[in-house]
Amino acid sequence: MDHNLRVARLLAVHGLELARHLRRLVRDDDVAQDLLQDTLLRAHRALTRLGSGANERAWLYRIATNAALNHLRKQGRERRALEHHAREAELAVSPDTGGDGQDVAGRQRLMLWRRVAELPQRQRVALTLRVADELEYEEIAARMGCTVEAARANVYQATKKLRLEVT
Amino acid sequence: MSEHVTTERRAVERIVLGAFRQLTGRESGVLRYAIMDDTPVGILGLSAGAAGLNHVDFVKDEDAFVERLLAEFGDRPVMRSTALDRARRELERYFKGRDLAFDLEVDLSALSAFDRKVLEVTARIPAGKVATYAQVAAKAGNPRASRAAGNALHKNPVAIIVPCHRVLRSDGSLGGYGGGLPVKEWLLRHEGAIATSLL
Repeated sequence: MDHNLRVARLLAVHGLELARHLRRLVRDDDVAQDLLQDTLLRAHRALTRLGSGANERAWLYRIATNAALNHLRKQGRERRALEHHAREAELAVSPDTGGDGQDVAGRQRLMLWRRVAELPQRQRVALTLRVADELEYEEIAARMGCTVEAARANVYQATKKLRLEVT
Repeated sequence: MSEHVTTERRAVERIVLGAFRQLTGRESGVLRYAIMDDTPVGILGLSAGAAGLNHVDFVKDEDAFVERLLAEFGDRPVMRSTALDRARRELERYFKGRDLAFDLEVDLSALSAFDRKVLEVTARIPAGKVATYAQVAAKAGNPRASRAAGNALHKNPVAIIVPCHRVLRSDGSLGGYGGGLPVKEWLLRHEGAIATSLL
């Protein structure tokens, strides 16, 4: 089978499921499509190397999840840099307000958001799949390419860290 | 189905189609497929385009079916989909014996005029009844073309839906079947066209 046909086959069989997964993680259709293409090309190379015995679906999910995480991490870094610049610019304009204008709940939300962004990536994606997608641990494990116990542990560690941060 | 789910499905399909276009150059007329892997006659592969159902095949597995579709529809994106739920439901009802008739859009445009005519004639044989190759050929307009009618039935792209299993030899023997003779026997027995005790 030629290269094009193999990629088309992966897309035919797994495309919808992966696209839904990526779209839920990154919440942007254009980015999801870019990541899907990226995932297929990478998976195609990996699977050509591994041969037909490999668990294709698990591979694809793992590669897609990592691609989405890389994207989100990069985006998070950019957002934090922007926020930093914005705060500096604000201080430069009115140095005497120094953050007192912000309400407590808003500041806490921002802190929480930052903590989520800084969680180790497997904890973060497990938490996203559990809380945002409301998935069962079996399904989280399948998508992350790990055991059910590991999925449960990742979610547990993530919530534990966040709870410490909030209280 | 809620509006949200439909919107999500459309968005997700757009993403996959975009990826198809970018990676493979396939873009015209998406082909959707589904696999029924637990039927009394084995694994079935279903596919449909905008004009209706164009495959109900007996298949070894999903991979084999997808490879067949990609080879046959060279310029079109192929994707697994829940859009074939209606065909799947009607087949499930058929297998449970609740309703042996089908009401589905079928696309036979890939066939020659004679082959199509043979299948249209065959589609009118009701469940529980059988016809011979010669009878079908005659009804399709050429009484001496029973071998050609047999060939046309062999090319039937939508097994079970167009009931080519209801066509037998003039001596009453089963003739041939793409899904294998045990399947043909099972289908006819299921429809009550042949008594269990005779088999």
